[in-house]
Amino acid sequence: MDHPRELTVEAPRAWDRPVVSVPVLICLSLVGGQLPSFSAQANLYTLGTGGALIWIGLNNRVPRRPAPRRLGRGAVWWLLPATLFGVLEGATFVLAVGDEFPTFSRLADPLLEDHLVRSAAWFAWLSAFWGLVRR
Amino acid sequence: MMRLLAIGGFLTALALFAVIEWAARREGSRIPSLGEVCAFVMRYEVGPVPVGRIGLFGFWWWLGWHFLAR
Repeated sequence: MDHPRELTVEAPRAWDRPVVSVPVLICLSLVGGQLPSFSAQANLYTLGTGGALIWIGLNNRVPRRPAPRRLGRGAVWWLLPATLFGVLEGATFVLAVGDEFPTFSRLADPLLEDHLVRSAAWFAWLSAFWGLVRR
Repeated sequence: MMRLLAIGGFLTALALFAVIEWAARREGSRIPSLGEVCAFVMRYEVGPVPVGRIGLFGFWWWLGWHFLAR
């Protein structure tokens, strides 16, 4: 049976409300924040949560917000930060001189060693992922 | 010196993301929000395959794995 590409629902389902989804994301983030880098648990947990969200996102049963049919010329503004970030990341990666000219992930690594910061990063990642799934 | 350049550049890029998102959310703005840009990209399909959706999900998945598991 075909499902419509863009579904809009008047009354959100119980599990789809922020009062349910936000605590769930917080719990998942607190667990993720306890898992150290390069551990098998962290790899499995990232692959598991991300895989589940991709499965939900590709499943047309989840209600989505309508997408714009075209973007205005104002969209080019987004190229400014994206290009700056991309050029810097590319340059730091290609030059590969370590802490002298570090990549973004090299700068973020020491911050992400703290469990609270790591949990916050998990929450940001999962929240944005959930937002993409709903789009 | 180069380290400061990298840190300053990355912070500037992140600040620009925030400023443009703020500008996009103003009443009557002609700039689409980042969510709208992502939604537009995710509309792209090749035949029955939602290539844009798969691509963006895959990118975000990889990003989380890169920062949170590696």
